[in-house]
Amino acid sequence: MNILIVDDQPANQVMLSGLIKRFGHHVTCASNGVEAIDMFTSLAPDVVLLDVMMPIMDGFETAPCLKALSGDVHLPILFITALDDQETLLKCLEAGGDDFISVPFEPVVLQAKLNAHARVRELSHSLKGKNEALAYHSNRMEREQNVVSHMLANALQENQTEYSFLKTYLAPANEFNGDLVLTKGGPLGNFYLFVGDFTGHGLAPATGALPVSQTFFDLAEKGLSVANMVEEFNRKLVKLLPDDMFCAAFVAELSANGERLTYWNGGIPDALLINEAGQVEKRLVPEHMALGILSPEEFSSQVSHCFVEKNTRLITYTDGVVEMTNKADERLSERGFETLLLRYARERDFDGLVGALQDFQQDQEQLDDISLVCLNCGVTNLPVSRPDTNVTHLPFRLVVYLKEDEIKGRDPIIKLVDSLSHLEGIRAHKTTLYLLLAEAFNNTLEHSVLQLDSGIKQTGQGFDEYYRTREERLAKLEDVEIEIDIQYQPDNSLLSFSIASNSENGFIECQDNTEDDELLTFGRGLQLIRNFSSYVDWRDDGRRLYIEYDLSLPHA
Amino acid sequence: MSVSRDFSNDGKQLVIAIKGKFDFSLVQEFRQAYSHIGDSQPTVIIDLRETDYLDSSALGMLLNMRKSLGSSVKGIQLVNAKPDVRRILDISRFDKMFVIA
Repeated sequence: MNILIVDDQPANQVMLSGLIKRFGHHVTCASNGVEAIDMFTSLAPDVVLLDVMMPIMDGFETAPCLKALSGDVHLPILFITALDDQETLLKCLEAGGDDFISVPFEPVVLQAKLNAHARVRELSHSLKGKNEALAYHSNRMEREQNVVSHMLANALQENQTEYSFLKTYLAPANEFNGDLVLTKGGPLGNFYLFVGDFTGHGLAPATGALPVSQTFFDLAEKGLSVANMVEEFNRKLVKLLPDDMFCAAFVAELSANGERLTYWNGGIPDALLINEAGQVEKRLVPEHMALGILSPEEFSSQVSHCFVEKNTRLITYTDGVVEMTNKADERLSERGFETLLLRYARERDFDGLVGALQDFQQDQEQLDDISLVCLNCGVTNLPVSRPDTNVTHLPFRLVVYLKEDEIKGRDPIIKLVDSLSHLEGIRAHKTTLYLLLAEAFNNTLEHSVLQLDSGIKQTGQGFDEYYRTREERLAKLEDVEIEIDIQYQPDNSLLSFSIASNSENGFIECQDNTEDDELLTFGRGLQLIRNFSSYVDWRDDGRRLYIEYDLSLPHA
Repeated sequence: MSVSRDFSNDGKQLVIAIKGKFDFSLVQEFRQAYSHIGDSQPTVIIDLRETDYLDSSALGMLLNMRKSLGSSVKGIQLVNAKPDVRRILDISRFDKMFVIA
């Protein structure tokens, strides 16, 4: 140990340092407070023996300064005093003294006191170390929570809950919500809703929100079905979550016209359809286990469908709602919730319902996350996504010669349309272009080349027979060439294509079927070409079909 | 799989979804999708959300389905058609024979 002796009397210095050196400690002497303070930092003493009466700076003044220099670690200060009047002793203690040694010095007592104080100092040292470690971990934890919280906030940025037809009440039990409510409009003006409840509360379940929300937004953007969505959620969660964690979920899609509701309920309390009169019309009971439990092979994505009347409301909630307790420690229960719900249902008073739930709960500690969602079914009025229709400004011409190998292989028209779709502005027209090209191509192939008679398609069997004959004749095809010539004129935004074969025969079906009251199973092809093109013509004595399509025409 | 077939939990709806291109190349698959529907008179829902292309042969297949199912189903709905696909159905006046929703 490092012992600092502060005493102005050389006799005391000599006597004390002699004694203490014998105990095996390192000793340094100072003659007054100022000297002691000067050497304190470099010396870093473990125990200070301090005289009371000294010139320049006495013990009462020195003690608090040394204590301050020692910082968080306890510095034992033992006053050297010959005085035994209580007032001085009290003053020593007030100045920060921890103990006294009196003259003449008793070696045994001195050693015992030094050891005792050394132990306290040691304890203080290790406490400081632990506090530092604790503070470090606490900081780190806070930093990491901030990171997760930031990531969650970003992940949920896409989550809009401001829809005229949607009302939500979300009350997490602590900072991180183990419940997850996600919504997004699809490309067809349809609307998707996800209500999830991860096992447990706090940070761990909240991190499950990341993969689920990312997947939800991606698939909703693509307009995929609820069945596809839940399969993908489950696949991700089974892979990511530990075995004892899972996510109960209710996933629903409302069609753009608001008439069709498709849902999958895995472990969420009965969702309710409330009719215009404010009564429960239907219970959407959980039919499946929660997400993240079953392997993709065992998992069932089977959904339910309902056709809903306008202004039907879908109420869905997590079990935090029915498990909330009141002052008497009674659970709200499903029955209690439904009683409250029906009280406010007719008036469509969602805020009233939330208020009633809060009144029930009052100041009781909330043990679980609470989510309550009300979706009013009706036309969503959400935008239908439109691809970019800006037309490319460069003129082009593309001539494709299809020989029997290309014709017999996989549909050459889809390849052609896929290639054209890479051109700016044409992608938006791919469905219609495919229709026009496919009809023109099939007409050429089936009638000019294969000499098939559409008339046989009239019956169900005929339809099959027609395509069977088509396959047979196609297989035998030799020395055939079908030419497709595609041109684009930017001045009038016209995409024109002509199609012809090297066959001697012209188009058999030059006359089109105009009986538009009858829906025939054949002869519709040319009618469709007429409907979707701006100009149709037969050239080269009916052997070449010429079609113009206007890219600037308004879309569907 | 370009054609999928799934009954709803209550067995009252049969959803047939067609992915990508809908034409005569799916003639067998499509017929299989609406075969063996049982006696429960389900509503058949043709989900076109992932259908990008169709031609007159697909229209013929839909009409054949309607003819073949007759009164063994409660109805046939063509749903979730993208705008351009919807236009083809509308111009062909399929609304006279199907519910297009």
